[in-house]
Amino acid sequence: MIKKKINNYFSKRNCTLLGVGPMSVNCVDSVIELANEYNAPIILIASRRQIESEQFNGGYVNNWTTSQFANYVRNKDKGKNIILARDHGGPWQNNNEIEQKMSLDQAMKSAKNSFKSDIDAGFNVLHIDPSIDINGSVPKNKLIDRLFELYEYCWDYAKKSNKEIAFEVGTEEQSGSTNTPDDLNETLYLIEKFCKKNKIPFPTFVVIQTGTKVMETRNIGSFDSPLRVENEIAAEIQVPKMIEICKNFNVLMKEHNTDYLSDDSLMWHPRLGIHAANVAPEFGVAETVAFLQILENNNLCSLALKFIELSYNSKKWHKWMLPNSKASVREKAIISGHYIFSTPECVELKKEASLNLKKNGIDLDARLCEQIKKSIFRYMYNFRLTEIA
Amino acid sequence: MKSIATIILNRNLPEVTDKLYEHLAKYDGAETDIYVLEAGSDKDKLSKYCTWHANSDEIINQGLRYSRGMNYALLQLYKEKKWKQYEGFFLITNDTEFSNSKTLKPLVEILQEHKKIGILSPCSSRWGEKLLLQKEDTKYFWFIHNNALLLRRAFIESIMETEKADYLNFIFDGTNFRGYFSESELIAKAYSNNWAAAITSKVFAEENESYLLKKADLIKTESYDENIRLYLQEGLVWLKRKYGFNSRWSMQQYVKSFYDNFFNYNPELKKYKI
Repeated sequence: MIKKKINNYFSKRNCTLLGVGPMSVNCVDSVIELANEYNAPIILIASRRQIESEQFNGGYVNNWTTSQFANYVRNKDKGKNIILARDHGGPWQNNNEIEQKMSLDQAMKSAKNSFKSDIDAGFNVLHIDPSIDINGSVPKNKLIDRLFELYEYCWDYAKKSNKEIAFEVGTEEQSGSTNTPDDLNETLYLIEKFCKKNKIPFPTFVVIQTGTKVMETRNIGSFDSPLRVENEIAAEIQVPKMIEICKNFNVLMKEHNTDYLSDDSLMWHPRLGIHAANVAPEFGVAETVAFLQILENNNLCSLALKFIELSYNSKKWHKWMLPNSKASVREKAIISGHYIFSTPECVELKKEASLNLKKNGIDLDARLCEQIKKSIFRYMYNFRLTEIA
Repeated sequence: MKSIATIILNRNLPEVTDKLYEHLAKYDGAETDIYVLEAGSDKDKLSKYCTWHANSDEIINQGLRYSRGMNYALLQLYKEKKWKQYEGFFLITNDTEFSNSKTLKPLVEILQEHKKIGILSPCSSRWGEKLLLQKEDTKYFWFIHNNALLLRRAFIESIMETEKADYLNFIFDGTNFRGYFSESELIAKAYSNNWAAAITSKVFAEENESYLLKKADLIKTESYDENIRLYLQEGLVWLKRKYGFNSRWSMQQYVKSFYDNFFNYNPELKKYKI
């Protein structure tokens, strides 16, 4: 069903589907509004840290559990344009599993429970990513075994529950290097063999390293770089080669970490044949930047400073920093802003800001959504999801 | 009889150039004659192996860079009637570094084995492309970005300017001064004339960028960052003027279309396709 829906859309227009990370309630609302306004499918790609089942106490985005999030989206998405997707489901993809130092068996069981909630909540696409292991790097054959175990589990459970799901596979997230055509060929061949043997549908999407990597508020990968990036296959070679392999296996190619690419690079996505691309932190950053600007332009500088302090102290910016970064406290706070939107302190701060702004006739959330939508629309336009500029 | 002419491009770095010359003479002297082009170098900074000293006011002021420099040197060989004595021309800048072993012999053997290769590039240990050359050491590519290229004479003869040849147009388009997209244009010309462009991991060549980083003033060029900025900016302007392309991806698709077509006409060579 979902595969058919996507293929139908591709048959009508040559485009790149957009996957958006649900960075905040405003971000989710913006996605739903844009998808329905332009009657274009948008995939909401929820990581386990962002949205998680009740047994894990939800995720950092609005503290939503999987079912709460799915219900919220389904109720608002009148045109049924939103595709709900789990992004990077798998063992140790949730902080609890890492903090509790779960064994492989425990982490696999935990991941299965998370997937079960996704299927129950009516998610359409499950990205199975077993690439993380807290005990160090794992040989490829072991990762493939874990992938197959989770794949089979999800398929069996969905079938029993009478739910339709599509799969996304692919690993090496943010590795900063490119996987080779031989690697991809081999992986897809093994998956094809497994699917045929077990009479399970082949994945709809495969994540391909195209030379995109997000650090701070930039994309530092080779895709957007006209110059060679050391030890990476030149994007001019990598991208068309990977697309060719995806075509051979009749699987849609999905790019991750597309944030901050230039308009020129984005515009070429549909023309090069990149079927889908994920963007996440850029939209969180867009909201945080807009939030600070609104506060500062309306004499609410003390609230802005308090937000910066809260966000900076969360240290959530840490994983995004370049080595020897010269980013200021403010810049770091902007990078981590969306992680703290749902903390009690920030909810309180935002409430106070909203009340003050209301006196000036300003609807804070409406203003924030305006900026997020602008940021998302750049992708929709360049990906040919709409032709209206 | 030596089948290869090696051309080294120098600007004011005589020690570096002499070292490269001596390295090639030691390991590859049996395969190649070596020519050194001084691209507007100061009189007191000429390599002791200098063959030609391009020293017009314009060249002294701004140098020649790869495209104009190689056009200049190749044209000199042509004018001096040395052209026909070589089967290929190895074009390198003075910041190229090779391992302590033979470079040209393996490259010449590849040209002999692969009759359709017009452009042959050594790989670099810093390129991801080496991952594509693990099972087979030589493959045909649609994109090569390198300052060390071995060009087959027969290929050059199929594309070179013969009527009004000068250092701006003999092989490379010298109006693209810093040369962004130069290799891509050359590769497109190769495939469109039924020649292939290959990278081999049988030989590695490294570009020592430290000279550009640390000795920009001596080479009389802009700082590294400024040079990169101009390289990209001027290249994009050139691309738009000459081809009407607005993006590097247009050029990539243009070259790849010739590449794909090459294998339609030469299906027996598909095993060398990446």
